[in-house]
Amino acid sequence: MLFPTIDFAIFFAVAFTVNWLLNPYAGPWKLAMIGLSYVFYGWVGWSYCLLLFATTAVAFVGGNVTASMRNDRARRTTMIVTVAALLGILGWFKYYGFVSVNLDNVTRTLGMGQPVPLLQVALPIAISFFTFMAIIYVIDIYRRKLEPAKPLDFAVYLSFFPHLLAGPIVRGTELLPQIRRRRDPDNIDYSRAFWLILAGLFKKVVISSYVSANIVQPVFTSPSQHSAPEAIFAAWGYAVQIYCDFSGYTDIAIGLALLLGFRFPQNFNAPYTARTLQDFWRRWHMTLSRWLRDYLYIPLGGNAGNGVTTVRNIMITMVLGGLWHGAAWTFVIWGALHGVGQSVGHIRRTVRERKGLPPVADGPVRIWVQRFLTFQFVCLGWVFFNATGVSQVLDVLGRLFSGWGEPSPLVTPLLVLVVVGTLLSQFVPPISVSRLQAGFSRLHTAWQVGLLGFALLGITTFGPVGVAPFIYYRF
Amino acid sequence: MGMGMGMDAGMDAGTDAGMEMDTDTDAGVPAPSTAPPTVGRERDVDPDTAWVTAEDGRPRDGRVRLPWTRVLLLGVLAFALWFFLFAPTLEHNAQVSPVGTRRTISLDITRPIAALSRALQLSRIVSVTGRENDQPGGTDGLIISGPRPGTSKQQPSIATRQLGVPATTTTVPPNPKLPTAATPLRVLIVGDSIGLDMGGALQSDLAGTGIVNAALDGRESTGLTRPDYFNWPAELANDIKADSPQVVVVMIGANDAQDFLGPPDTPYASPAWNGLYTQRVSQFMQIASSTHANVIWVGMPPMQNPTLSGQMVDLNTIVKQQAAAFKPPVTFIDTDKSLGTPTGGYTAFTTNAAGQIVNTRTPDGTHLTPGGSQVVAQQVIAELVSQGYHI
Repeated sequence: MLFPTIDFAIFFAVAFTVNWLLNPYAGPWKLAMIGLSYVFYGWVGWSYCLLLFATTAVAFVGGNVTASMRNDRARRTTMIVTVAALLGILGWFKYYGFVSVNLDNVTRTLGMGQPVPLLQVALPIAISFFTFMAIIYVIDIYRRKLEPAKPLDFAVYLSFFPHLLAGPIVRGTELLPQIRRRRDPDNIDYSRAFWLILAGLFKKVVISSYVSANIVQPVFTSPSQHSAPEAIFAAWGYAVQIYCDFSGYTDIAIGLALLLGFRFPQNFNAPYTARTLQDFWRRWHMTLSRWLRDYLYIPLGGNAGNGVTTVRNIMITMVLGGLWHGAAWTFVIWGALHGVGQSVGHIRRTVRERKGLPPVADGPVRIWVQRFLTFQFVCLGWVFFNATGVSQVLDVLGRLFSGWGEPSPLVTPLLVLVVVGTLLSQFVPPISVSRLQAGFSRLHTAWQVGLLGFALLGITTFGPVGVAPFIYYRF
Repeated sequence: MGMGMGMDAGMDAGTDAGMEMDTDTDAGVPAPSTAPPTVGRERDVDPDTAWVTAEDGRPRDGRVRLPWTRVLLLGVLAFALWFFLFAPTLEHNAQVSPVGTRRTISLDITRPIAALSRALQLSRIVSVTGRENDQPGGTDGLIISGPRPGTSKQQPSIATRQLGVPATTTTVPPNPKLPTAATPLRVLIVGDSIGLDMGGALQSDLAGTGIVNAALDGRESTGLTRPDYFNWPAELANDIKADSPQVVVVMIGANDAQDFLGPPDTPYASPAWNGLYTQRVSQFMQIASSTHANVIWVGMPPMQNPTLSGQMVDLNTIVKQQAAAFKPPVTFIDTDKSLGTPTGGYTAFTTNAAGQIVNTRTPDGTHLTPGGSQVVAQQVIAELVSQGYHI
């Protein structure tokens, strides 16, 4: 079920009411939430519910067995087997087609025939997200950061519909305690929740759709007919599109959870204000970044070893992070690009430290130059991220060298305003937004109804007919 | 917490999620980071926690909290207001949706509310924006690709140069089968979402020759059965007027296996339906060839869903018959072998001209991947070459 639909609005009205009516009754509440979440997920395809159930069962049993082992080696083995099983499920659905086609092409070239059958395995929506949450649960139990949950608690944790389709990737230590305790039905932070939901809808339905239709899609569909300025705005536009799409989804998810009495972790923190790539990854898809850091990068050794091992670990982490987004070489290159960028940053810092050089003094010019360069690098990566293949990347980037002096009808004043305005909005102080929310919460109910109704009207009026699915639903 | 659009949401003030921050790899467990963010100023502080005092933990953010019943009431009233103001558009959306129970119920609900909204002149709030009956998604009009006649600096194609044809023409009307950079062949590609998949690849390939000017008009979720939703004959007539194509490539039909809207509705696959669809296809072919353009109609490929696949076979049969009746200038191209098994069944993989295995279909079992689009695009180009076009 897509968030920006009337189907979901009706579903949520029911879920909200059921959530608070059953709030005093823990058992029925959990069963109701599981049922509602499975209905929400099954709306896309009922067979997928079996997969969600299977993942829940594997992680729950694996976590419990891991916790019950007294011997450290047995604990580790059980944890590894469980994580391998979870990754096996993910790998089958997400990577089998990619691996089999590439493997068969290599073996055919070598005259070795076709070693694996070619099968098109449908990618179940959300599998990457709930698999990562299941892995968190099992590893945190292994690390003794988390006690095994009760079956219903764990089933709610993994299937809870506000985060189910595209995160945030919530940890057991964050969500399970909230599931166990009774939520306060008289203390809903509704002004913040409504703001987040409407802001998310605005970003997704209006901004992301507009930029996609008016610059990104035309240029990426046929780069050869577009000028260099159009190619540049297509790359910047995609940066705006994917940010508004994904952070818009996240805002809605966090707002919905807030209405149900839950708090989710932050997933975006003004990413295009970042001054370095390292800084960018602290601000972009933060729950994935910390997953990669805590469950991949640090277990690989992090930056505790020498420079070579650190660069190796960064590259492995970023390439696998790229591959997580999709089974395609463009995602691998995108991840590698960020890995190389971060490695260069790491080497520069290490060299300065070894030479005993003091930190470079910050000034406004240096800060803005860093921000500008980081943004351009990120946009270069986005071209790979959005392209259907490397040849399309070359076509788009090629226009930067050959497309000057041609007319740029797509770069309209409105487009420039939307792209630049969205980027500049990242510098709006959150404290002023919080004051707006506080002001809204003190208004008379009639004004609140009017403002919310007209805000929704503006969003639906200026959005396209039929909103495209969120980009991150594919992952 | 910083705020993209002034509104990124979150609760973890200063959570450091970047690589390299945690060097504690002892036992593989990072120490919880308490370091301030790299760019830490007031704007990086989460408004939820910034206003909380440590003494009593009560929010001091100034936001009033409400009981859930009041929140529900507020949400329902705001939704009702929106529904009332937006009802005419919702009614329109319901009218153009596929025939069935959902459409009937949607119309039953939206019709009286839309009527009231119009009677009270409230619908004008939306109608003044001119967006009450917006068009479906797609290319949003023609996307034209390739050399602009008379302005291109690109070289003639290898085929043209081999024939010794001059790169520019003077007084002799250009021969569309011998295009040059100065007098490029004008190709128009139209279709539904599958046509859009194929069209993007074909447009790119044709424009890449440097001697073809290719225009693409693709509209998602459209077809020939529901002109109330999207009027393809009118759209094609406009495209032809705007572009004056010499070749028109059509790939449309994936959404056409549905009832014709009445009253009375004409059930899909009934004899009356077949007759009506034949008329629509015939009309479309006439418009496409109205400026003496050659028309290449690309058939629908096999689908993973057996029911849909069977429907596409039926539609292809009708189109094929009409193409035969209009030949020339209409030519039908089958995709059941190029994108299907040797017996015309569904498969997601094929071997391309370079001998590489290509995944041709998206996981929905309906649309084309870039690889699949390329296979069909090359099929169309091969047909053009076989018809004598030197591209």
